[in-house]
Amino acid sequence: MRLPQFDYKGPDTLEKALDLLSTHAQDAKILAGGTDLLVRMKKGLIAPKTIISLKALNELSYIKKDKNTIRIGARTCLADIIASDSVRKEATALSTACERVGAVTIQHFRGTIGGNILQDNRCFHYNQSAFHRSGRQACHKDGGKICYARDESDRCNSTCQSDGATALMALGAKLVLVSKGNERTVALTDFYTTDGIMPFAMEPTELLKEIIIPVEGGKSSYQRLAYRSAIDYPIVCAGVLLKASAKKDTIEDARIVVGAMGRAPLFLAKESSELKGKSFTDTKAFQKAGNGAMNSASTFAVHNVGSTLEYRCATVSEMVFRALQEAVAEASKA
Amino acid sequence: MEKLNIILNINNKPVDVRITPNDTLLEVLRDHLDLTGSKESCGEGVCGSCTVQLDGKPVRSCLTLALEAEGLKVRTVEGLADGDKLSPLQESFVNHGAVQCGFCTPGMLMTADALLQQNTNPDEDTIKKALSGNICRCTGYSKIVEAVAHTAHPDDQCPDCASGIKSCCKTKE
Repeated sequence: MRLPQFDYKGPDTLEKALDLLSTHAQDAKILAGGTDLLVRMKKGLIAPKTIISLKALNELSYIKKDKNTIRIGARTCLADIIASDSVRKEATALSTACERVGAVTIQHFRGTIGGNILQDNRCFHYNQSAFHRSGRQACHKDGGKICYARDESDRCNSTCQSDGATALMALGAKLVLVSKGNERTVALTDFYTTDGIMPFAMEPTELLKEIIIPVEGGKSSYQRLAYRSAIDYPIVCAGVLLKASAKKDTIEDARIVVGAMGRAPLFLAKESSELKGKSFTDTKAFQKAGNGAMNSASTFAVHNVGSTLEYRCATVSEMVFRALQEAVAEASKA
Repeated sequence: MEKLNIILNINNKPVDVRITPNDTLLEVLRDHLDLTGSKESCGEGVCGSCTVQLDGKPVRSCLTLALEAEGLKVRTVEGLADGDKLSPLQESFVNHGAVQCGFCTPGMLMTADALLQQNTNPDEDTIKKALSGNICRCTGYSKIVEAVAHTAHPDDQCPDCASGIKSCCKTKE
């Protein structure tokens, strides 16, 4: 498969990259690793006129740990995150999630954390070759007015299958977005639109610069289900963060996030708050949280990522339950 | 469309190539330089048959723009052997029958070679994890894993046999 033609820009400072982005905003795409972008270009889903490569921007590749936060540069490759001791210790869910992305051969150079968060939503009716798509009317994401995943839907139902975003949302991460002369910080929970065509609430002139993970002594876990353990997107995944009370036997605060079930990772506020004050040994409460998560997430999911909808919905509760148990085991150890 | 001249370091030799920005590293290797060892199969980073090493790390060349490989050391399967003398890893693949149709072999070799540079005596789980990004449709994985395990110790027991988990070496003549 040949790539379509484009102009290649390789800025060597962030300032130059933002300049280029503000000039070419409407028809430019950022290239970090290319595992998502180049595949979509090869399939003819997008054809940007300009590619702005972050290859020379080593200033965006770092992991910094200070007292209350871990800051990760957007172009940091997944292998560096997996190898980082502070991420493994303080943000276990992210470390596990990065390990599950692609395979070892994709995690260095090509797979970056920024690219993992900003990978486009997927749907097996949309992510197909130009030949396959030419045999039927275009769907919403392809510029048409039909949704093949949900009958009579007036908008795109493509699914966010990012491992990194699910784990980071559970960890309560924030994103730093920069554009020429402007910088803003947005919580990952507020970063998503409810539209599958453009799932991210960011301007075309904006660039993801940094991910900030708050570190407040909680224990996190990430669980995912996919057909193959390597080179496959999750069909269901769950990230959990638990904070233990001073006595280390009850849950002071919890965050449950379910991924690959909707247009964005779903933060389940009700199920999370119900866990507050529950004992570490209260497996019934964990099961209830899992079932609650299944009910809430099922309303958003459509049959568009591989496995049947019934199977995906049924396994949400188990993923959440396992993640909770693992986080509790870690928390009671500490 | 504008053509660019770039210099790539391929198997420790500087090579001058004239490319367009949308050429992938794989296309440059195969079509411009006749290094047809690296194969194109899926073209979207799933199968691993196009794996080459960039600065010693295995990378999908079908998802790497040739422009992005400038300034890095590219090593392809052609760079493994020294003239007619096969590398120990290639030798081990031959001796263990780890090659069936051979289409996945260049990618397997480059991934396994990168693993062995970091860890000279990997156990089976480590090898399986490292090779998980390479698909073989002849389903010959066990021979490949065995071949990699015995590269460092061709006449010796592999780590799994030495610790009594398996007995592949004991049955060998």
